[in-house]
Amino acid sequence: MSTSNSSRRLLALYALLAGSLALPQGSLLAQETALDPANSVKIDLPANSPLALISTSMGESRAIARGGAMVLDLHMSLTLRNSGFRRVRGIVLLVTAQEFAPGGKGSIARRSIDVLPSQEFTVPVELRLIRPVQQSGGPLVRVQLDGVLFEDLSFFGPNKLNSQRALTFWEAEAQRDRAYFKKVLQAKGEKGLRDEMVASMAKQAERPQLDVAMSRNGRTVGAIAPTPEHVAQFAFLKIPGAPVQPLQGSAEVSANEARAPQIEVINQSAKPVRYVEIGWVVKDKDGHEYLAGSVPGSSAAMLIPAGQHSRLLPDTALKFSRTGKPVEIAGMTGFVSQVEFADGKVWVPSREELNASPLLRVIAPSVEEQRLADIYSKKGIGALTAELNRF
Amino acid sequence: MKTHPTETELALFAGGDCGTFSRFILNRHIKGCEECLAVVSEFTELRGKFSTRANVRPEIPDAEWNRLASEMRANIHLGLEAGACVAARVPVRIWNPRLTAVFASLLFLVGAGLMLHVPPPVPLAEATGPVVESTGSGLELRTGDGSLTLLNHRGSVPEQTASAQGVIRSSYIDAGGVTINSVYLE
Repeated sequence: MSTSNSSRRLLALYALLAGSLALPQGSLLAQETALDPANSVKIDLPANSPLALISTSMGESRAIARGGAMVLDLHMSLTLRNSGFRRVRGIVLLVTAQEFAPGGKGSIARRSIDVLPSQEFTVPVELRLIRPVQQSGGPLVRVQLDGVLFEDLSFFGPNKLNSQRALTFWEAEAQRDRAYFKKVLQAKGEKGLRDEMVASMAKQAERPQLDVAMSRNGRTVGAIAPTPEHVAQFAFLKIPGAPVQPLQGSAEVSANEARAPQIEVINQSAKPVRYVEIGWVVKDKDGHEYLAGSVPGSSAAMLIPAGQHSRLLPDTALKFSRTGKPVEIAGMTGFVSQVEFADGKVWVPSREELNASPLLRVIAPSVEEQRLADIYSKKGIGALTAELNRF
Repeated sequence: MKTHPTETELALFAGGDCGTFSRFILNRHIKGCEECLAVVSEFTELRGKFSTRANVRPEIPDAEWNRLASEMRANIHLGLEAGACVAARVPVRIWNPRLTAVFASLLFLVGAGLMLHVPPPVPLAEATGPVVESTGSGLELRTGDGSLTLLNHRGSVPEQTASAQGVIRSSYIDAGGVTINSVYLE
């Protein structure tokens, strides 16, 4: 009798311990809820938009409460229709959650597309929003159309994110690369094109990539132990055909962090320039070179008359790392990568100019080149040839 | 001693309850201070009166004492019998392999469940202003209370670029098209 009682007590103790561990898990699972698309996300398309929203799929979207925070995982897919009369080559959607993530915004763009009138296409919207648990009315995330680029490079949209410029540069780059590979096809046939694709994939695989953290007006998060800051000068690679040339530039450098880069440029063309972007190559202490980013013109109202100088002065701090380890900056090189004239025309370096410089080997194949290589690797040379002939 | 001792100190002195060093100091002071000597004398007199009263025992009937003694004896016998019963029990075996295996399995399941379901920790804001950052899961805009992350497409290898104007971009290829996520500092 007494033995039986003690066993029962022991069993009860085990059950109590197991229950105390299992209870929080059960309660956590209970806090996972399905999202209501109508309330969580608001999708705004202007009344005169050339795109129409056909459907919204929420996929595996969900909301989970964890302590004092709510985690929203959105895995949406928007189906849009080209309701205009011109082919669509790219779109940009503005994503905001100002109430919960103020001080910034996001965008999702689709480029290198060719959507005929009345044709439908999808745009993936995959994001995570972490916000404090609190009652709030209205949508958590707002998705708005910021811009649409058509085949004739005309543009529609509010352009809050300078989407017209970005889409136009991307399209110019894509046209350059498609023209290059068409030329290769005509001159060397399918074998020559195949060799180019294999070389491109190898270059893509070899190219090192950096992770970047960025903030304004101060030190970036997670910068490694403070070391004396010094002003490092840019070395410049001059591209002969560039309408704008860099003259001098510097940045405040401390270990793996660069702050307030400033570059002086001169417009050598006959036309006024309203935007310049300098490609930024960083060398580490072991001599490895990485394309770290770019230094763009800082003012929306910037205009450099023909023959005049200007300064690019973005007020940001950038921290570089690779596979979680800081990359200490031992040297910096810049080159002109994009120019936009006041009349809206754009300039990007030609394939010949990129290939002529050993330094520019660190530049990844353009996104369009990567897309063509992807078609080749998945569908073969026939599909790639058909794709090149489609444009 | 520059100041007079407190009443408590004098009371302890009068009762002989203060320490050796305190007694020495207080004794020196009291010898030269009539006021404190008077207080000590008063305490001593009061103490004497209470001692006298405490020695007077109230009368309790003998019958009551006898009843209490009987109850105490009965309780002692009861305690001894109870002790004998406990000593005769078979010792409880604390280690039970089956129950331990069940408990370990439960613990493992609960732990695995927690690991699988806990999302990435809420990042802490280390900077006063917003920060944009490329992470393993995507591009993150982080502020004091919340964050917005544009996630990388599953299975894709994104290409990332940063603009010192306050933009980080990540591009990946899917279904023949290119998707470019960007986060912007305002």
